[in-house]
Amino acid sequence: MAGAVAFRGLRAFSYTEFYVQAHEYLSIGTSLVVQAILLLFVRILAPSLLDVALLGSVLFSVFALGQRVQNEAAFIRIDHKLNELYLASPLAPEAYFLGLSIGVLVAYLLPIFFLVGATIVLVGLAPTTALLLLLAGAGVWLFASSVGYVVSTLFRDMRAIWPYATLFYNLFGVLPPVFYPIGLLSGSLRTLALLIPPSAAAALVQSTLRANVLSPSEFALAAIALAVEAGSMFALAVVWARRSAREG
Amino acid sequence: MAEPAVSAHEVRKIYHRRGAPEVTALSGVSLEVRSGERVALLGRNGAGKTTFLKIASTLLAPTSGHVEVFGHDVDRTPGEVRPLIAVVPQEGKPFFHLTPREQVYTYLLTRGFARAEARRRTDEALGQMELTEVADRLSVTLSGGQRQRTMVATVIATEAPLLFLDEPTIGMDPFARRGVWASLRSLTRKGSTILLTTHYLDEAEALSDRLYIVERGRVLVDGTSEGLKRSTGGSLRVTLTGPAATPEAFGSFGRAYPETGALHVVTTPERLPELLSFALRQQVTAAVGPVTLEEAFLRVVGRSIDEES
Repeated sequence: MAGAVAFRGLRAFSYTEFYVQAHEYLSIGTSLVVQAILLLFVRILAPSLLDVALLGSVLFSVFALGQRVQNEAAFIRIDHKLNELYLASPLAPEAYFLGLSIGVLVAYLLPIFFLVGATIVLVGLAPTTALLLLLAGAGVWLFASSVGYVVSTLFRDMRAIWPYATLFYNLFGVLPPVFYPIGLLSGSLRTLALLIPPSAAAALVQSTLRANVLSPSEFALAAIALAVEAGSMFALAVVWARRSAREG
Repeated sequence: MAEPAVSAHEVRKIYHRRGAPEVTALSGVSLEVRSGERVALLGRNGAGKTTFLKIASTLLAPTSGHVEVFGHDVDRTPGEVRPLIAVVPQEGKPFFHLTPREQVYTYLLTRGFARAEARRRTDEALGQMELTEVADRLSVTLSGGQRQRTMVATVIATEAPLLFLDEPTIGMDPFARRGVWASLRSLTRKGSTILLTTHYLDEAEALSDRLYIVERGRVLVDGTSEGLKRSTGGSLRVTLTGPAATPEAFGSFGRAYPETGALHVVTTPERLPELLSFALRQQVTAAVGPVTLEEAFLRVVGRSIDEES
C-alpha cells in the first residue's frame, strides 16, 4: 500500500500532462527535425549505416524527452506556479515528477513510432533488435526524464536553464555514438561511450545488427551501466521530488 | 471545543541565499485559525504573508517554530496535511493549453474524485466563477482576470477542509471579486476554513471574520475589522478642506492628520455636531464618512514603521 500512497494521483496527473502536451502539436511535429536531417546526411553519405542511424534516432528522440520534461517542469514551477497547486494536494510528489514524465512520453510517442515505422520499412527490424530497443529505450527515458526533473528544480529563471539543457542533451545525445557505430571508437573513448546511457543503449541495439560489435564483457558493461544509471537516477529523482516539494 | 484549523507557534523563517545577505521573512509568527473561519492576513509587500502561507501549506520548511493543520504538524507529517488543503498560489496561472473546464476537471481527478463527481463540481465551480461562457476556450486565450478566476474555481471545486488563498482576486474586476466572495462565504457555510492574503482592504473587511496585520515578519495586531477600526479613536472620519483646516484648530475633536491637501479628523458620533458647527464657523468644508479598515491598517503599520525608524 505504501507504493500506492507514494504514487497517489499518478494516473490522473499523467493524463493532465499528456493533455497539456498534446496541444503542442507544432512542437511534437518538429521534434524530428534534427533526426531527419542527420538521417538524410547518412542516407547520402553512408547508406550502409542507415540502420544504425535510424535506431539511433529513435534512442535520441527518447533521450530528448528529458529536455522536454526539464523545460515543462521548470515552466510550470517558475512561470505558472502550478507546482504549488499540485504539491499542496493529495497528489504525491513522486507522482508529480513521474506524471510529468509519462505525460510528455505519451504525447511524443507518435513521432517515435513514426521513426520505428520508418526503420521497419527501410531496413527491417528483427524481434531481438526490437526487444532490445524497447528495453534500452526504457532505460534511456527513465534516465533522461529523471535528470530533466532534478535539473528543473535547481533554477529560478527559465532563461538560465536553456543553455544547460542544450549543452547536456547534445553533448550526451549527439556527440557519443548514438547515430554512428560504436565500432568507430576504441580504447578509453569506447569504454566511456559504453558508460553514457544513450550511447550504451545504442551500442546494445547495434550489437544485434552486426556480429562482433561488442565483446560479451562490453555488452555486459553497457547493459549494467544503463540499468544502474537509469535506476539510480530514477531513485534520486523520486527522493528529490519528495525533498523539493518543500523548499528549504 | 473544535480543533483549530491552523495553529502556528513562533514561526521563524530566514532565507539563506548564496552570495546574498540572509533575509528574515518571519520572526516569530503565532496565530490561530478556528475551524470554519475566514481569516485574512494583511500586510505590506514583503511583510511575510506569502511565506507564512507557504509554510502552513507544506510548501516551505520553517527555520524554527511549528504549524499544525487540524492537529497535524506540517513539518513532520506533510502527507497527512496535503489531502486536507487546497492552495491558490500568488500569481498562479492555469495550464495555458487546457481550457478552464479541463483544468478544474483534471485537477479534481488528480485529487481522487470520481469522474461523475468531478464533472458535477467542475460545472458548479465554473458557474460560480462565471466562466461557463469561456469554459471551453484554451486558457492562453483568456484575460488575466479570467485565468485568475480559473485558479480560484479549481480550488473551490475541491471544497477542501482548509483553503489557502494568496491574493485570490488580484486582477479581477469588482463584479468578479464579489463573485469570489460569495463563493468563499458559501464554502465556509459548508464547513471549509479559509486563510487568505489580500491587499484589497475592502475585501478583507467584507470577507474575513478576523484578520491579522503582519509587518516585517511579525503579527502587529489581530482582531475583527470593526475592532481594528475602533482602535483608530472613533468610527467617523471627517475630511476638512479650507485655509482654517489645521491640526491645531481641529485636534481637540479627535486624531487629526493632513493628507492629500485635506485635514482628516477621526472622531466619535457624539462629538460630530460640535465639530461640524465649529467647521461652519471657520468656513471650512466638511465631508463625513465612516472610518475604513484602510485607515486602521495605515495607522497600525505606520506606527510600527515609525517605531522601527
